[in-house]
Amino acid sequence: MNGGKPVCLTIDGLKVQAYEGTNVLRAAEQAGIAIPHFCFHPGLEVEGSCRMCLVEIEGLPKLELSCSTVVRDGMVVRTSTDRVREARKDVLEFLLAEHPLDCPICPKAGECRLQDYYDSHGLYASRMVEARERRAKKLSIGRGLLLDRERCVLCTRCVRFLQQVTGTGELGIFERAVRSEVGIFDGAPVDNNYSGNLVDICPVGAITAEDFRFKTRAWFLARRPSVCPHCGRGCAVVIESVEGYPLRRSEKRVYRVTARENPAVNGFWICDLGRDGRHDIDDGRHIAVSKKDAPVQGLPWPEALAGVAAAIRSVPGPERAGKIGVVLNARLTCEELALAKSLFVTGLGLRKIYFAGRKPGPADGLLLTAERMPNDKGVLAAGFTPRLPSLGELAGAEVLLVFGPYLLDHFGEDAIARALAGIPAKYLFAAHAGPLDRLVDAVFPVAVPAEKSGTYINTEGVRQSFAPAVKPCPGVAAEGAILACLANTLGIAVGETDAR
Amino acid sequence: MTENGVRLLPVDENAWRLEAYLRRGGYETARKVLTTMTPAAVVAEVRKAAIRGRGGAGFPAGMKWGFVPQGGAGPKYLCVNADEAEPGTFKDRLVLLRAPHQLLEGMLITAFAVGIRSAFIYVRGEYAQVSRRLEEAIAEARTAGFVGPAVFGTDLGLDVVVHHGAGAYICGEETALLESLEGRRGQPRVKPPFPAVVGLFRSPTVINNVETIATVPQIMAKGADWFLGRGLAKDGGTRLYCVSGAVRRPGAYELAVGTPLREIIDVHAGGTPEGRSIKAVIPGGLSAPVLMPGELDVAMDVDSLSRACSMLGSAGIIVIPEGTSMLEVLHATARFYAHESCGKCTPCRIGTAWILKIVERLRSGGGGGADLDLILRLAEGIKGRTLCPLGEAAALPIHALVTKFRGELERTVTR
Repeated sequence: MNGGKPVCLTIDGLKVQAYEGTNVLRAAEQAGIAIPHFCFHPGLEVEGSCRMCLVEIEGLPKLELSCSTVVRDGMVVRTSTDRVREARKDVLEFLLAEHPLDCPICPKAGECRLQDYYDSHGLYASRMVEARERRAKKLSIGRGLLLDRERCVLCTRCVRFLQQVTGTGELGIFERAVRSEVGIFDGAPVDNNYSGNLVDICPVGAITAEDFRFKTRAWFLARRPSVCPHCGRGCAVVIESVEGYPLRRSEKRVYRVTARENPAVNGFWICDLGRDGRHDIDDGRHIAVSKKDAPVQGLPWPEALAGVAAAIRSVPGPERAGKIGVVLNARLTCEELALAKSLFVTGLGLRKIYFAGRKPGPADGLLLTAERMPNDKGVLAAGFTPRLPSLGELAGAEVLLVFGPYLLDHFGEDAIARALAGIPAKYLFAAHAGPLDRLVDAVFPVAVPAEKSGTYINTEGVRQSFAPAVKPCPGVAAEGAILACLANTLGIAVGETDAR
Repeated sequence: MTENGVRLLPVDENAWRLEAYLRRGGYETARKVLTTMTPAAVVAEVRKAAIRGRGGAGFPAGMKWGFVPQGGAGPKYLCVNADEAEPGTFKDRLVLLRAPHQLLEGMLITAFAVGIRSAFIYVRGEYAQVSRRLEEAIAEARTAGFVGPAVFGTDLGLDVVVHHGAGAYICGEETALLESLEGRRGQPRVKPPFPAVVGLFRSPTVINNVETIATVPQIMAKGADWFLGRGLAKDGGTRLYCVSGAVRRPGAYELAVGTPLREIIDVHAGGTPEGRSIKAVIPGGLSAPVLMPGELDVAMDVDSLSRACSMLGSAGIIVIPEGTSMLEVLHATARFYAHESCGKCTPCRIGTAWILKIVERLRSGGGGGADLDLILRLAEGIKGRTLCPLGEAAALPIHALVTKFRGELERTVTR
């Protein structure tokens, strides 16, 4: 893309500069001129089959593909002449001749290229009076993906993605001519950690996800950027949610997590683990402070936090270093970690500061890293030397603050229960309900990363800042806010009083 | 068949064996070329001979060779296109059956000229007998040392592999042929890059038709000037014209490029049987737009037919006699392309199927003139908009049939 020599060309009368090797379609896009296309995808090799992106290039007799034509100095391109629009209308008419008119029940409606282009180029009565080809409408192709062959425009993005990106090649084109169809090979469905991208890249409603279709409509979705917290890659994602209408006024729900382009981190893709992270945002959340495993109605977290401050104060200053334990994690943002450092290390002089996180898993060689926490590098950058505590070390504390459920990734529930039993004051700060809840005095509901602002540093050292993509429930606070409030109550200056 | 001197096909059907070929002076030209000439001189000679590709597109072969980057450490390949599938065309089959060694000799010279050591012959799926014969001929040549690691004592070697296709018209398109040869679905690639630069296994590749390569030894034996003298200045030599349909002597005729179509039909193929009159002639395989009886004085060369708004294509001449229903001709044409469209690009995949559906409806008696207009519009929507020439090859003959036989078609469909 970049790195080559800059080349100057004219697109629709606009002087445009693009790097050598860029295709006309991308050069136009960078200049704000959208050229309609189905089969081209910047993350895949050029296919040139949909014929939608044809443009006029001065000096060439035929219309040329903007996806496969590379920019040249002095090139003059026209993307919206009558001839170009006529060619697009013809391609649209061909596609629509064999496409069902089921937009009202199609999950892609509202974000479908065929629908959008028809709206901007077509709006003519179809001249097709022949019988359409009948094809499978609901073919399960694996991983909760459904294929509707009547809607398919055979752009082969899905087939090429599985060949060129994952290398798993589960999908192919079968049959020939108008009978051509996408399909899986006998008994070998799509089964890889990147399957969800097939739904993202399908330009029409041919590949849909069972867990999204018929749940909502695309135009109700608020789409906000965030960073995926499920491994050390920190992929750029879009959190797609509905708040209020058409749900009840106070209701909100995340319907999808999709990939957001970031050439420095994840390119165009995300993995299924990150995509399934939508459940992490919506499901099993604590929404109020709970004590002894039961929510306490009408107790705002700042008030409950007074109890934590009192417990800390009850330990005489000189003994705090060894008697107050804190378990942090690498899901905290850089800002929150800095705050924790100021409060616990600088302010209170604690020594028993530990880290627990999800255990590493196998990296898949594409995006998913072995590290399963998003901010391991941020922990180091904040000046911590992360160390998992032994249960014996924890048991010796008089006050224990645990952030996150991750002790469970390393120790059995019963063993943790025994270790914590003798600690007089113990608190959990967690987003989700879990087995630790009943082992502590109080559980404070905290925000998940999608509800926070902050910064993560991924395994390759790339810093990414993000803003809240969804609003947390009223009783839920980011750890940063909790730490700031605690510092305030204890009268410890931590620089910033609010991590947000 | 032999009056012009360039002889591709021995008259004796059993003369295909190496022994017979050697008696006719076979492989002597290749020996001379490989041991006494430079590759550049060979390319120059073939370019001077102005031999245009015999497969259909009519691109000058010498120029095509010139596009291959010189030098380079990586391999280069030669692919002989023997996927002869254009309806009305059967000349390559005859060359392969009767003169396989002439093809191999041509391949040796071509490989030498371009710097190639590995060649493939892609044979049409239906040509099982041809494949067997080729294999036998290659075995003979290998035993005699004309194919293999070192030929004529030079350090030039040529490895030849016969690849049997699976029966798809599209695989005659050069980039689809490469895809198929690499083991994938036979579907065309986006050009550029052209195969001369990025071809088989992403390496520079020369792809030529069987007849084109089989003609090369003649050019090198007798010289470009001699070859040019047999044909036209920009379209040299002779070529094999296949004549089928309503003629007394259907067959392949080797004649000078530029021989008038009427002469080929009336003189060489013996005219129509029982004095039937000609209703239409398809001059260059099914993809070539049809000619009316008044247009038959056209010279059979690439440029003349292009001026006549048709094309020489593979020079497969189909003579359609009076009494033939043009709706049936239209149906056969539409059905062929709808069946053979590879399905990769939108206009061809859906356009050809849509046209066929309309024609089938017209045949069963439902429809009228407006449907013919729609067919013309759809053909125009395919023309010039597809990924490979198959779309063009479908749109042009259908457009011509509907335009030129509009009156008859309207009478037939509204009856």
